[in-house]
Amino acid sequence: MKDRLIVSGSPHIYTRESVSRIMWTVVVSLIPAGIAGVIIFGWDALWITLAAVGAAVSTELIFELAAGKKITVLDGSAVITGILLAFNLPAGVPLWLPVIGAVVSMVVGKLLFGGLGQNIFNPALVGRVFLMASWPKYMTTFTRPFCDTVASATPLAALKEGKVLEHIPYWDLFIGNHGGCIGEVCILALLIGAAILFIKGYISWQIPVTYIVTTGLFMYVFGGNGFFKGDWLFHILSGGLILGAFFMATDYVATPLTAKGQIIFGVGCGVLTAVIRIWGGYPEGVSYAILMMNAATPFIDRYTKNRIYGSK
Amino acid sequence: MNLHEFLSIFISAVFIYNVILSRFLGLCPFVAISKETKPAFAMSAAVTFVITASSAVTWFIYRFLLLPFNLAYLRTLSFVLVIAALVQLIEMIIRKVSPALYRAFGIYLTLITTNCAVLGAAVLNIDMFFVKGKPVVGSFYYSLFQGVCMGLGYTLAMLIMSGIRERLEFCKVPRALHNFPIAFIIASVLSLSFMGFNGFKF
Amino acid sequence: MKSLVKEFTKGIIRENPTFVLVLGLCPTLAVSVSVANGIGMGVAATFVLLGSSMIVSLVKNFIPDKIRIPCFIVVIATFVTITELCLKAYSPVLDRALGIYVPLIVVNCIVLGRAEAFACKNNLASSFFDGLGMGVGFTLALVIISAIREFLGTGQVLGHTLIKGFEPPFVFGMPSGALLVIGLLLGLFNLIKDRKR
Repeated sequence: MKDRLIVSGSPHIYTRESVSRIMWTVVVSLIPAGIAGVIIFGWDALWITLAAVGAAVSTELIFELAAGKKITVLDGSAVITGILLAFNLPAGVPLWLPVIGAVVSMVVGKLLFGGLGQNIFNPALVGRVFLMASWPKYMTTFTRPFCDTVASATPLAALKEGKVLEHIPYWDLFIGNHGGCIGEVCILALLIGAAILFIKGYISWQIPVTYIVTTGLFMYVFGGNGFFKGDWLFHILSGGLILGAFFMATDYVATPLTAKGQIIFGVGCGVLTAVIRIWGGYPEGVSYAILMMNAATPFIDRYTKNRIYGSK
Repeated sequence: MNLHEFLSIFISAVFIYNVILSRFLGLCPFVAISKETKPAFAMSAAVTFVITASSAVTWFIYRFLLLPFNLAYLRTLSFVLVIAALVQLIEMIIRKVSPALYRAFGIYLTLITTNCAVLGAAVLNIDMFFVKGKPVVGSFYYSLFQGVCMGLGYTLAMLIMSGIRERLEFCKVPRALHNFPIAFIIASVLSLSFMGFNGFKF
Repeated sequence: MKSLVKEFTKGIIRENPTFVLVLGLCPTLAVSVSVANGIGMGVAATFVLLGSSMIVSLVKNFIPDKIRIPCFIVVIATFVTITELCLKAYSPVLDRALGIYVPLIVVNCIVLGRAEAFACKNNLASSFFDGLGMGVGFTLALVIISAIREFLGTGQVLGHTLIKGFEPPFVFGMPSGALLVIGLLLGLFNLIKDRKR
């Protein structure tokens, strides 16, 4: 779809794809990570996801009824926002947190800008940084995998606090056997979902690949004691990088249209993420990096627009 | 005085305590002139220029005029007048030296007289880099550099905002939110995302 | 007499400096973290507004037209300096809380705006009531915004906890919360205006 959205002159080709079809496919592609989250963190993960989805959908419904607009809740985009928001929350949060987060996501992130296709920022991330600023206590208390209520730090948070890492094997990072947010821990499941989107051609390689490679490279160069000593694989596999790169940095609306613009976007996200991880106060920078690049997107678009044939 | 100090002034003035998004200085032109990129850029260039110049001038006035004669209480009064005079002077010089630049700045240069970012920067410099009526080591360079950085932060916020608002022209923003309200809401999300730089340490 | 009352009341709702004219937002957003700060800022600005409006309307006939703005600024800056010194002497806590936004009253568009648009054309009594009305309107707006922000950001208003068990979202004590509140409030005012029409 993305590569059929090129801003160009005619001729145009007709395709049977529709917005809601794409959106529901994205929902399906997120299911493996959701299942992994439930297996790892227990039923709480499911309740949180359902709460966020329900709140997001009903917010959109109520808003559209009140404003007398066309009802668009069935196009699946509100469902995606809810799922992505829940995937960015720790499994131990009280249930009102995802509800408020979803309402903020939908209202401030999307509906105030005019609804589907009009948003400037990724709605789920708007909700997430709002929650992060509002209730940092809940947002940074993570539960340990496979047992309830025991608090544990994420690998990145432990690194930031200067604790000596009991070395987590890369395999554990890959299958999600460590503390973290519901949907971000199991890289395997996320990659399965991403593969679905790639095969269907719904996301292009530019943003995810440049994002991940840039972050890895930057961490390799600056992330260790001295240059070229960083543990790049650890940084790629931990935190929300994979979830962010494949599912949130590829938001159709809030990212550049052209391939060149997308590469700039990906590199920008990567650099910002790495900078925040190394020098920032927060252990993780994926949400902030993507939001900042969302803000820069209109600018990137302007300078990377495809030339219409025959014009200057 | 070392590189780390300058780096932390840079990060804090541009991102963490961004003049507009965190200190709320110069909000009126921010929401009024950020509808299109060209005037937004002209305005921020003019602001950066004047903030830098006034940071230097007000530092000298405070250090060599107000402090020695025990007139520190005249700070606000003298700074406002100096900035107003400075803006006039700059305007005249630019008009003589570079008519093209003068046309590019347009009326924005005149508007800056009452831009609180300029006075705010001057007052902040004095608050931060004078301890008990004595300048700290490298005080002048810090002040000048902070002036430049505040201007850069202003430019950054202004450019991002104008880019977004140009795109909003094509969006179905609810009618009640047109112009000012939506601009503030965007600024709010921008401010949230800049929080990613909180606690920056080198 | 009736016209004086009108000069006074127009600043409160019909020409409210914050919500209708959208002037002087910088201090409004910056100090509205708590109601106490909001009232302090409102009173300080009202004092400057009253003083400068009266002086300007008294001396308006002696000021040459060409240099009137610098003259206004000197008058305003004088009152701001008086406020600054009084605050430092009598209420150092409030002075620290308001910080650089006290000297910045001097470039507050409301104050210069009233001097230019009203006080230099009207007599002492109407200028006084105009200044007072604008000041009260500004203070009211500040109190509304800061009450919302203080309640949401800390769960308290003027130090009293209103609802037990309410876990406040801290974001409303931060700059982005201020921008969100003012954006939504302005939108709400527009909505009400549209409905009335």
